[in-house]
Amino acid sequence: MTLPRRLSRAAISVAALLVWGGAASAQTAPFGTLPGGIAYTIETDPSQPAAAVSLWYRAPASGFDAVPLPGLAKVAATTVAASTPVTGMSLGQVVRRAGGRLSIAAYPDSVAITALVAPEQVAAVVRAMTADYFAPVTDGAGLRIAQREVADDMLYRSFVPADAIEDALAAALFTAGPFHDGQGATVEQIRAVTLPRVTAFAERAFRPSNAVLVLTGNVPSTALTAVAARNGASPGTEPPVPPAPRPQPTTIAKTANVGGIGLGWNGPPIADEASATALDLVADRLFSASGSVTKALAKRKATVTGRFVTFHDPGMFLVTISGDEAAAVRPAVEAAIAEAAHPLAPAPFGAAKAAFVYHLLDDMQTPDQLADTFGWYAVEGNPSYAPARGGARSRYFSLAAALTPEAVAAIAHRYLGTAPAVVTLATPAPAKPS
Amino acid sequence: MKRRAAAALLTAFVALAAPAGAAAPLDLGGVPGYVVPDPGAALGSIQLIVRAGLDRQANAESGLASLAAQTILHAPSGGATLADALAARGVSLNAVVGGQYVRFVLDGQPEALAAAAPLVAEVLAKPPADAATVGAARAALLERAADAETDPRAVGLQMLRNAYYRGGPAMPLFGTSETLALLTPDDVGGFFTRWYVRGGALVTVAGPPGAALESAARALAAALPAGGAPQAATQTRPFGNEPRRIVTHRDVGGSYVLLGFAAPSPGNADFPGFLVLRALLGEIFESSEVTARPSFFRPSATILIDEVTPAQFAFVINGRIVDPGVGLAAVDAVLKAAAAKPLANAVLQRYRDAAHGAWAIDNITLDERASSVANVAAHGVDPAAIDAVGPAIAKVTAADVQRVAKKYLQKFDVALILPRQGSGS
Repeated sequence: MTLPRRLSRAAISVAALLVWGGAASAQTAPFGTLPGGIAYTIETDPSQPAAAVSLWYRAPASGFDAVPLPGLAKVAATTVAASTPVTGMSLGQVVRRAGGRLSIAAYPDSVAITALVAPEQVAAVVRAMTADYFAPVTDGAGLRIAQREVADDMLYRSFVPADAIEDALAAALFTAGPFHDGQGATVEQIRAVTLPRVTAFAERAFRPSNAVLVLTGNVPSTALTAVAARNGASPGTEPPVPPAPRPQPTTIAKTANVGGIGLGWNGPPIADEASATALDLVADRLFSASGSVTKALAKRKATVTGRFVTFHDPGMFLVTISGDEAAAVRPAVEAAIAEAAHPLAPAPFGAAKAAFVYHLLDDMQTPDQLADTFGWYAVEGNPSYAPARGGARSRYFSLAAALTPEAVAAIAHRYLGTAPAVVTLATPAPAKPS
Repeated sequence: MKRRAAAALLTAFVALAAPAGAAAPLDLGGVPGYVVPDPGAALGSIQLIVRAGLDRQANAESGLASLAAQTILHAPSGGATLADALAARGVSLNAVVGGQYVRFVLDGQPEALAAAAPLVAEVLAKPPADAATVGAARAALLERAADAETDPRAVGLQMLRNAYYRGGPAMPLFGTSETLALLTPDDVGGFFTRWYVRGGALVTVAGPPGAALESAARALAAALPAGGAPQAATQTRPFGNEPRRIVTHRDVGGSYVLLGFAAPSPGNADFPGFLVLRALLGEIFESSEVTARPSFFRPSATILIDEVTPAQFAFVINGRIVDPGVGLAAVDAVLKAAAAKPLANAVLQRYRDAAHGAWAIDNITLDERASSVANVAAHGVDPAAIDAVGPAIAKVTAADVQRVAKKYLQKFDVALILPRQGSGS
């Protein structure tokens, strides 16, 4: 039996969509706000073979309701991309037929939809993406596709040690809210998401005034004229999630699909730019591919990751240790972190800084990487601090250049000098034969 | 920041063809050079092509090309390995070994590259072949070989290469633990002496135009000693009327099937039509997918391996998602239909658009852009051919697609990677 396609009420409102046209064609500033409250950033590079079109929203991964539903933001964003609007073609199809790549990423407090496409497809994708999200259509077929894809992603994520451990660490660092709830969800939780709940989330999260539109790469200067608008949409942005840090130290042990150890600290807010930059440097110096911890443990059967995540308030410094020798190498990892509170000699500090700057620039080469950086810093509330803004001459890199061994050590001592939250994941013991 | 540090990879046999900005010749004093300008880029990428690929290996030398390249990365430099010494200057150095050449890749800020290139040049001018350095390189290579063994697609691609090519390009990229154990420092030293020469070398640069990158390119171009390294023609094995079937067992969660075909290289008149057909094949099992998925969840994938001429094309069926028998039959049916009659105009236009877009986004980093130019130039093709591919895709006709389907995609090899008994989930 074929069920009639269910369209949400948002489908009706698509008739009210406008295209800004002349209003936006006068926009030439690299960033600003379009009518309807749509924040935008446009960074063109005509030498790039491709372009990225990206929509970012501040929205909790587990939804706005009192009862959290892990995975909801990603399911909702994917449902919109998979549902069929009145134009007859879903965003997913538009991007696929253009030979592009569509990715949807959910973070604890934000969600991003990014299409990487050929330059001549930018206008069509901007039009389709903004129309589809600003007045979201959600249908049953789209939800089923979204549930399948998100369930796969979540299952995959649960087997990636760093992801699973970081999720557990966030839960240990906060008592409530989207950080505590985490990004992971079980297949059963994803399958239980209903269309009305998806629609309600999409209506609230994806409204134009909550959007940050990022266009990067080989983007035509007229691309903003293709941005859709929606009459009557609720104004205003979603506020940042109020912090609910848990008093530390906390120790949590739980079973999971993968084993490992996590060490987590709350860090500076994104507004404390110097401290955030310093902790980025510390993480890179210790845990990048050329980092001291990575090198020291290269022969061990353990994988160690570490990064500072620049959230609105507070940030998080997350370290994961996995592999057969995870427990054995933990003291070495902790010693290296403790050592970061002591100033490095000038030569190794200079080398660490050079490597850090290179790694950062290397991670911002492609249009989608650039869009990711702009979008992240915008939804976290400090767009002008985005490393991508102005390349190697940006505010971020100026701060990095000004860092001294003493300043970095002091910041490491301040934020990493306390006992961390510790999580230990273990795989379930095999069932005894009956 | 929110990024996660990524481990440096030494990979090869990846699809290199990609669009690039217009590549301009660069005068490097006898060594051909090309520059892909990107004024907005903060970094630069410099690639040195040396004719010291797998095809230079004798039968008993499997792994020697990779061991030699890895030895360069491990060369002592100021109390560290060369790669670590460069990392401390904000420059990454990698070596990518392929069937017909090795590509040394330096990425970094232009000024850092200018300062780092003389260190690399010093090593290339007199590569070390002492036991300690070669031993460290061998150990690193063994780890990579072990990693590659855990990736069913890499295993399958190696099986297809082995079936299709003759001689060195058919050999395992990293050799095997047995062959690597037999290679001596003298073997590595001899390989350097014979093949790490200026003949056939070339340099490509992508990044902001200026003296810094040019100076780095010059240093690399001048590094190798004079000497000839004529390009050897790579031979292939003819396909049979019935597919060759090669089977292996690995610790994988599900079976994988890879079909290996002949393919045109960039610069070949069939190349644009092949890309259109590739776009069509890419949708056989994925028409309802919305987002880019990890390969583990993708029912199929297409891989064009054009860093060797003649090129090879692989169609991967993920047996976890698509029944291998059903998948093979579906692909076979599509290929036969594509050869039997021309595509309808609407279908043709759809896949021309998809092929054009995929071509644009295929390789977008500086490294990739420099690589794509290096690859065609290394095969004696004018780099302008890369820029011509996009417009040529728009002009592909239904007859072109049919011709390509008949010429390249009716005969193939089949590689099966099956779970070992007791493995899988």
